[in-house]
Amino acid sequence: MSERDFHPLVKQLLDGELTIADLPAELRAEGEEALRLLTGVDRSPVELPAVTRRVMQTLASRPAPAVPAWKRVMRPREIRLRIRPWVLAPALAIAAALILLIWPATPARPAPLVTVRFVLVAPDAREVSLAGTFNQWDAHATPLVRSGSTGVWTATLTLPAGQHQYAFVVDGARWVPDPGAPAVDDGFGRRNSVLTL
Amino acid sequence: MRPGAEPKDGDIVRAVLAGERERYAVLVERYRDRYARYAARMLGSADAAEDAVQDAFVRAFDQLAQCKEPDNFVGWFFLILRNRCFAERRRSRAEAPLEAADSVAAADRTDGGAETAERRRALQLALMELTPDQREVFVLKHVEGLSYGQIAERLSTSIPSLKMRMHRAYDRLREQLRDHT
Repeated sequence: MSERDFHPLVKQLLDGELTIADLPAELRAEGEEALRLLTGVDRSPVELPAVTRRVMQTLASRPAPAVPAWKRVMRPREIRLRIRPWVLAPALAIAAALILLIWPATPARPAPLVTVRFVLVAPDAREVSLAGTFNQWDAHATPLVRSGSTGVWTATLTLPAGQHQYAFVVDGARWVPDPGAPAVDDGFGRRNSVLTL
Repeated sequence: MRPGAEPKDGDIVRAVLAGERERYAVLVERYRDRYARYAARMLGSADAAEDAVQDAFVRAFDQLAQCKEPDNFVGWFFLILRNRCFAERRRSRAEAPLEAADSVAAADRTDGGAETAERRRALQLALMELTPDQREVFVLKHVEGLSYGQIAERLSTSIPSLKMRMHRAYDRLREQLRDHT
């Protein structure tokens, strides 16, 4: 701080944070000098009545403010719709027809088919069939064929990919799960084999 | 809008951007005098202030699409005018400030007395010797009557930074006005 700098307390006086009475006695003369400085502040209003005319004259020869393209697109607009019922019904019918033409119903894509061979070794059986989710558990719908005299019964089916449950039905009465496949409880005390294709 | 209600700045800005350029005159009428005194004290001359305010309004019109908050048009306009005042002082640094200060003080000689006019003239001359940053904070606080908080908000700066500028300004003004106080 140089010799001619105001004391910090005097600066606070100029800022309006202190009054002259708050200053210590030795700073009051300096405080009064500082306040005299502010008596030269000119707060009289300045009016510029000609500016409006001059600005508008200048603008008359200038292009419109450049609005970026994205702002023109994004600018909110008011849209008013007047709906006449006698126009609306045919319009809806035409719209529905167009939707049907342009967007025809597409069937769900069928699951791919997989050929699978079922085998059960049952040398004493007189007949064996297959019942499962793929034939609505019909014990007579899918008989197996005995291969020679080995007691091996087989059936070859083409099934859609996915999970199927099934069981062999021996002699029309005994339900036997497939010993070569995992099984799950069917909720009624029997075991169903599970085939995942 | 209610009948007779003043349109908001944002409504006028949007109308001008939509092509109703004549409505810009409402904004000019509304704000042309609000910062005229600020410009006059910053530039040391009412004539220079008039040119600066006019240029600032024209520039604001050209850049109106860049006004991010149309409802705060006046705050945005103030920053354009401020830049114009700073640029003007840089440009006319070589000009004699005495004539400019004379023109500011002259209007008061008739109603404020010779002594008041002389004090004002001396302070205005001293203000022109400050840096623009120092002069601006002095003008906003002691001429426009804003608090440090209001100035900090308007200029997006901190109160301690403003006080530092102001306190340096006090010391320089004391030096300049040694024979007048």
